[in-house]
Amino acid sequence: MPGRNAALYLSLGVVLVYCAVALFAPVIAPFDPFVISGPPLAPPDAAHLLGTNDLAQDIFSRLIWGTRATLILGFLGAVVSVVMGTTVGIVAGYYGGRIDEAVMRFLDVMMTIPFFPLLLVLTIFLRPGIYVTAVIMGLLGGLGSVRIIRSQVLSLAVADFVVGTKALGARDGYIMARHILPNVLPLVGVKFVTSAQHFMLVGIGLGFLGMGDPNVVDWGQMIERASKNGGIVLGLWWWLIPPGLAVTGISLALAWFAYACEERINPRFQVMRV
Amino acid sequence: MAFGISVTIMFVILHLMPGDYITLYLEGIYVIAPPEVVLAYNQAYGLDRPLIDQYFSYFLGVLQGDWGYSLSYSRPVLDVISEKLVWTLVILLPATILSIIAGIAIGAYSGWRRGSKADVTLLNGMIFLRAIPSYWLALMILLVFAFYLDLFPLGGYVSLSALDTGIDLLDVMNHAALPIFTLFFFSVTGTYYLMRNSMLMTAGEDYIVTARAKGLDDMTILRQHALKNAMLPMVTRVALQCAGMLTGSIFVETIFSWPGIGMLTFEALQVRDLPLLQGILLMDTLIVIVANIGADMIYPFVDPRVEVGSDARA
Repeated sequence: MPGRNAALYLSLGVVLVYCAVALFAPVIAPFDPFVISGPPLAPPDAAHLLGTNDLAQDIFSRLIWGTRATLILGFLGAVVSVVMGTTVGIVAGYYGGRIDEAVMRFLDVMMTIPFFPLLLVLTIFLRPGIYVTAVIMGLLGGLGSVRIIRSQVLSLAVADFVVGTKALGARDGYIMARHILPNVLPLVGVKFVTSAQHFMLVGIGLGFLGMGDPNVVDWGQMIERASKNGGIVLGLWWWLIPPGLAVTGISLALAWFAYACEERINPRFQVMRV
Repeated sequence: MAFGISVTIMFVILHLMPGDYITLYLEGIYVIAPPEVVLAYNQAYGLDRPLIDQYFSYFLGVLQGDWGYSLSYSRPVLDVISEKLVWTLVILLPATILSIIAGIAIGAYSGWRRGSKADVTLLNGMIFLRAIPSYWLALMILLVFAFYLDLFPLGGYVSLSALDTGIDLLDVMNHAALPIFTLFFFSVTGTYYLMRNSMLMTAGEDYIVTARAKGLDDMTILRQHALKNAMLPMVTRVALQCAGMLTGSIFVETIFSWPGIGMLTFEALQVRDLPLLQGILLMDTLIVIVANIGADMIYPFVDPRVEVGSDARA
């Protein structure tokens, strides 16, 4: 279907635009995001495309710089989560038996603790910077991927080609890296994109609750500032709406991208499951 | 059992952390806390005793309903939480029930008519809705319906007039409408996805083909044969979604100033009230566990092939 492909490329394009904005933030943004750049609470004009906030910082520049934090939170978290999920998932699924049992029981227990409230408690205690936050989210969120990858590996581990390779005398490490990993890779890819989306929303949510890293500009803290300091009451839409739209945009693009990819790889999965 | 393990893990996590309550609490009072004050506080809270001692007293305390003492409320944590829990349930239960019903109905239809225009539209709409962060959705709903259209109150759970007339049910419902609406939107997409997937699986089963071969009409097959079977996996999955709803309620309650657990979480975060936060985490865990046990209990009634206690459930 051409529509599916269009969605794939369009969403990929949007994600790339965000990445470019994050990379070239210093070039694009007209002002330093922390500096006082004009009168406070100014409405949009030629110099300040989205006006200024209550601290007289340029909102447009903050929006541009905020892209960095969002992408770091999402992608770093997703890398950690997927690497952990894949490694543990493959090992547990491939060896099975006691190792698998131990991993699964541990997961069962950990999964009863709700992700976000736990993250909040950890954040309060550790007061992490943005990188540590991403890693913590990745580790906690990776628990779910372990389960998904592992169940896929379980059926692969007894597939004929794996048993055959084993009979040829291949080492376990070789089989896992060369035969199991490539087969779960599409699944891992989709998981990576959905995790990135999830972690971006969660990371910005943290900022919104006032748990963000104060040294970084992020959209969550921008929304928090706007809604706390009069953005709603005064109806200052240029302060309140752009950061939220920006989050929604990247989140939508990633969701579409994941969905389009899933559709593409699905047929192969169904064949393999037999 | 599971709860016991969670309590243990909670204890371990909280004690592995750098820093502790007292340092954190005293930071709010002193720039640099005098050592004798730290010592006195540590003694008062029993933090100078051996770890094993602390663990057992914490564990027993939790079982006996002693969940610690909130620093900001100056009341027992469990008191504060159980008071707020009621208000959370007031919006959480209707939102959950509505989203389950709507999610199942729309998801079943969408999955049954796979590939049709209606299905594609619904699916795209749901992907769109799911990608919008809950806090953003809540803010927009608040802005549009309460601020610009002025249809509903901006926040709180009763009007000021409640001071004279007492709490009026209609008034509470009026305040609860927007939070419920938002939470509903937040969770209906999840239910929809699950139901649609489940329906896609069911639609390919042999007994559906048989029903078709019998010449039954489409909607009868959907209602009589497909729906019931596709709903089975939903029972456990809905319980798993519970944690997501709790997270959603943190944002929704904060934005609508709804005085439940979610807003309590936010308040506890603002003042760094750790005992309270820890209690909330414990309560959230408890809710998730109860929901899961509930699902396990209900399952045999929905699916008679599974008996409680047998290891057959997947």
